[in-house]
Amino acid sequence: MQLAAPFEMSQPAISRHLKVLEGAGLIVRRADGTKRPCRLAKAGIEVIDQWLAVLREALAKNYEKLDEVLAALNSGNGEETL
Amino acid sequence: MYRAHTEPKLIQKWLLGPAGTTMPVCISEARPGGKIRYEWTIGDGTGFYLTGEYLELEPSSRIVHVERMYLPDPTPDNHVETRFDPDGAGTLMTMRMTLPDAETRSRMLATGMEHGMEASYVRLDSMI
Repeated sequence: MQLAAPFEMSQPAISRHLKVLEGAGLIVRRADGTKRPCRLAKAGIEVIDQWLAVLREALAKNYEKLDEVLAALNSGNGEETL
Repeated sequence: MYRAHTEPKLIQKWLLGPAGTTMPVCISEARPGGKIRYEWTIGDGTGFYLTGEYLELEPSSRIVHVERMYLPDPTPDNHVETRFDPDGAGTLMTMRMTLPDAETRSRMLATGMEHGMEASYVRLDSMI
């Protein structure tokens, strides 16, 4: 219920999303009476983070270079070197 | 920004990824149905490539294309919409990548993971 509150989504829809996350190993759920508290699964999140870190580094390098390309275009004298 | 995403001579200058990577071949036929082919060479002489086709082009504002990466097996077709919108003194770029279904997306992420590891090993090699 708490997890559903911020979203414009029905409780069953939220449950389905949580099931997918659980199946993917990204969250862990346990039973506590009628409640099903969730927490993030560290191992699953770390794998995502590693993958994103590689992407982040490669993309950051690309966009630094893109900034240089755009600066050369904007300065007007970049045409000769292209 | 639009030119930097469609003109081969500009693309070759920045769409490179990890240090030491170059793009000796860059085909970008910026018209609907036009071909895309980017070939990258990593520092050690190995490489990988991507092919694609342009679907829609609105000069200065929007590009729609499909692409697949060969690592060497092709990844599933990735449908990409790239938008360039004025944002203050600059440009806000929005990319939306769409894969046909969840199963394809899982395979894509698995390939990306593999590729990411490859990039890590390549960097590691250069550090040793």
